[in-house]
Amino acid sequence: MHNLIQKLINRLPLDFRILCRQFMLRVIDLEALSIQADVTGFLGQFAGVLIMLSLVHSLVTYVGFVSMGDPQARLGFCLHMEHHLIATMMLVVGLFTVLSWDATFPDRRDVMVLSPLPVAPHTILSAKVSASAAVLGIAILTLNCASGFVVPFLVGVLHGTPWSFYQSLAAYWIAIVGASAFLYCSVLTIQGFTALLLPRRMFLRLSAILQLAAFGLFLAVYFLEPTLSSPDAMAAPENQGLLACLPSYWFFALFNQLNGTLPAGFTWLAVRAWIGFAIAICGAAASLLLCYVRTMKKTIEEPDLVPGARGLHWMPWFGGSLKTAIALFSIRSLTRSRQHRVAFSFYLAFVFGIALSLLRDELASGAASEITVGFLISTFMMMTFAVFGLRSVFALPVSLTANWVLRTTQLRSSEKYIAATRGSLLLFAAMPAWLLSAGLAFHLRPASQVAAHLAILALLGWILAELCLIGFYKVPFTCSYLPGKSNIQLVFWAFFIVCLPLAVWIAEIELDALHHALKFACMAAVFAATALGLFGFNGFRARSAVLYFEELPEEVITTLKLSA
Amino acid sequence: MLELRNVSKRFSGIAAVDNVSFSARPGEVTGYLGPNGSGKSTTMKMITGLIEMSAGQILFDGKPIQDDLMAYKRSLGYVPEEPYLYTHLSGAEYLTMVAQLRNLPVRQSMERIDGMLRLFSLRDDRHASISGYSKGMRQKILLIAALMHNPQLILLDEPFSGLDVASALVLRSLIQELAARGKVVLFSSHELDTVERICSRVVILHHGKLVADDSIERLRSLMELPTLEKIFSQLAVEQDTESMARQIADLINA
Repeated sequence: MHNLIQKLINRLPLDFRILCRQFMLRVIDLEALSIQADVTGFLGQFAGVLIMLSLVHSLVTYVGFVSMGDPQARLGFCLHMEHHLIATMMLVVGLFTVLSWDATFPDRRDVMVLSPLPVAPHTILSAKVSASAAVLGIAILTLNCASGFVVPFLVGVLHGTPWSFYQSLAAYWIAIVGASAFLYCSVLTIQGFTALLLPRRMFLRLSAILQLAAFGLFLAVYFLEPTLSSPDAMAAPENQGLLACLPSYWFFALFNQLNGTLPAGFTWLAVRAWIGFAIAICGAAASLLLCYVRTMKKTIEEPDLVPGARGLHWMPWFGGSLKTAIALFSIRSLTRSRQHRVAFSFYLAFVFGIALSLLRDELASGAASEITVGFLISTFMMMTFAVFGLRSVFALPVSLTANWVLRTTQLRSSEKYIAATRGSLLLFAAMPAWLLSAGLAFHLRPASQVAAHLAILALLGWILAELCLIGFYKVPFTCSYLPGKSNIQLVFWAFFIVCLPLAVWIAEIELDALHHALKFACMAAVFAATALGLFGFNGFRARSAVLYFEELPEEVITTLKLSA
Repeated sequence: MLELRNVSKRFSGIAAVDNVSFSARPGEVTGYLGPNGSGKSTTMKMITGLIEMSAGQILFDGKPIQDDLMAYKRSLGYVPEEPYLYTHLSGAEYLTMVAQLRNLPVRQSMERIDGMLRLFSLRDDRHASISGYSKGMRQKILLIAALMHNPQLILLDEPFSGLDVASALVLRSLIQELAARGKVVLFSSHELDTVERICSRVVILHHGKLVADDSIERLRSLMELPTLEKIFSQLAVEQDTESMARQIADLINA
């Protein structure tokens, strides 16, 4: 099999193969990584998270299926899981399109490097599309490696005929691949036509906003869309508008149509999936072809030097020249670097997702209400995502080769640099999360309890910032990144196993404390003491700390034990 | 005075700089020459404190630089070989950041940045992103960043790289002017004509070892050669350049 694939690959043109391999490697920005980074290991960790998700989905589906006795209930549950899997797949594809935002279109570097070479534009185009499709294909396979067989098997069992498993299997994979291709191609179509219609400079500015908007939209739809996968919910007249607008339900209907389980009168929903799929594919193909013909020329003609914005150039002061330098460098890196903006948006999306759901509840209730444990947990989670999110983005470098300037201008102790990093964490993560929480608490009563909670939240922000600074002897955005050190899988599961229960526990204690002055005073004292303790600990360690700019793996000494 | 005493640097056991000793005096421009890979930039990085020495000592004003590295960095201005800058910042933002990192008074740094941007013809583009700057413009930003704090020791690694003729002439005069005002200037370049015009003495490195350290006049008379180019060729160029050029042309035609 391997030899056959290799033979087929070898039949492809050499220039196509070389370009395709290069474009696939650009999924990650290699310049951001430490020189000793293991890129395959890093990608493997992401694949591991997706495989783990697939296993969890399969397990939940199987356990849920077995625990139900009624065949109708079992079918309903399987269909609910099927929709959930389609929606999750669309979210993953959405995140992939955001992370590889301009990867399918020719960028300036490609044009300048490849234009003088005898490489036809259609080879570049096909190599780029193939590279994106290959990575997308891997994402689809890993996320469905277990659930892609378990769910069709269980649906097939309910039908009882020998061919039903194969029918469900085909329906499942067609729906999943169709939903993924629809979303990916839709984004390409929008991007492509925006690039064609707008002047190049305006497009580049708008593209960054579109990228963030797409990111927010994918997450908001995933977390906020209602569950309408049961036949009753689908048939309800008030849900018809929502069904017509939510593509995940179109492909859910497509699955049911191919599987033979589509309720009567919902063919229109499956037809939407087919039409949407066809339009997205044609739109993407047309926009890509036109882009390669027209924008490659535009890119070459684009002037190197884009004039800066005229008018006022605000230079705020953050209480000290070093603090100001690091705060401004942080905010500029965060807002101007695409990779950093997207990485931080990932965490901010959770913050805003929680904020949106709180706002929805607030708008629904109308009148002033009391503080609930749900509100407390939500604000804790917002603070946690904001602070830890910014801390993890701080670890991604913006330009390693330019770091020499920080090293030759280090005229103050490392302690001062670490204090400046603390200032940036509090200013750009803890403070916005706190202000957002304060805004969302506006309709809550009594005001004294709201103020008390905001005080606890401020202390929590400080504690989290101090926790983030333990061992972080770096200037934000300047140290090389060593994939694997952060151990994505461990962090991912630790969050669900440790952070979430901890937030629930603290919120319950706080809710009780808000009603008793003494208990609240004790709780605030514990928080303040923890924050001060961590502050002192970090301060003590910072005195002997040395700033570093290169993340190195821990040395492993292997002994042969010959002397023993 | 900057003084290197038996300085060595080894990378995985291989000597990039081997037992080098020389000094650069105030009021003089010291040329630091050598072919590619001879260890010039490694020496420059050791003098700036960017990399540590494997052996030896570097002294500035008679004191080892490691004794008070921060005080030493205050008196140091450095232009690296490659114009690596934070390209997501504008020229003005980058220079302001450097001034803040150097803890310069706000008003003074603003005046100096503005004045130098004007003199280097960069004022109109000061708010444009550095990513769009040409190599010459980036080089000018590096020069401003290296000089704005009025350093006592100036290290210039290929400072003419990418500069247009007018800017190169200004820089040539500027280097001489700074030396005349008592600064220690260590200047590394492959442009031997320029070195010959502005340097009082030269240090030549080959395979990490010091092969010459003297005034250009004295080297000329000692080696009985008319130009610095001839001296350099004799001391640090191993290949027969004309034969090599012929071989390359033959290879292309083959």
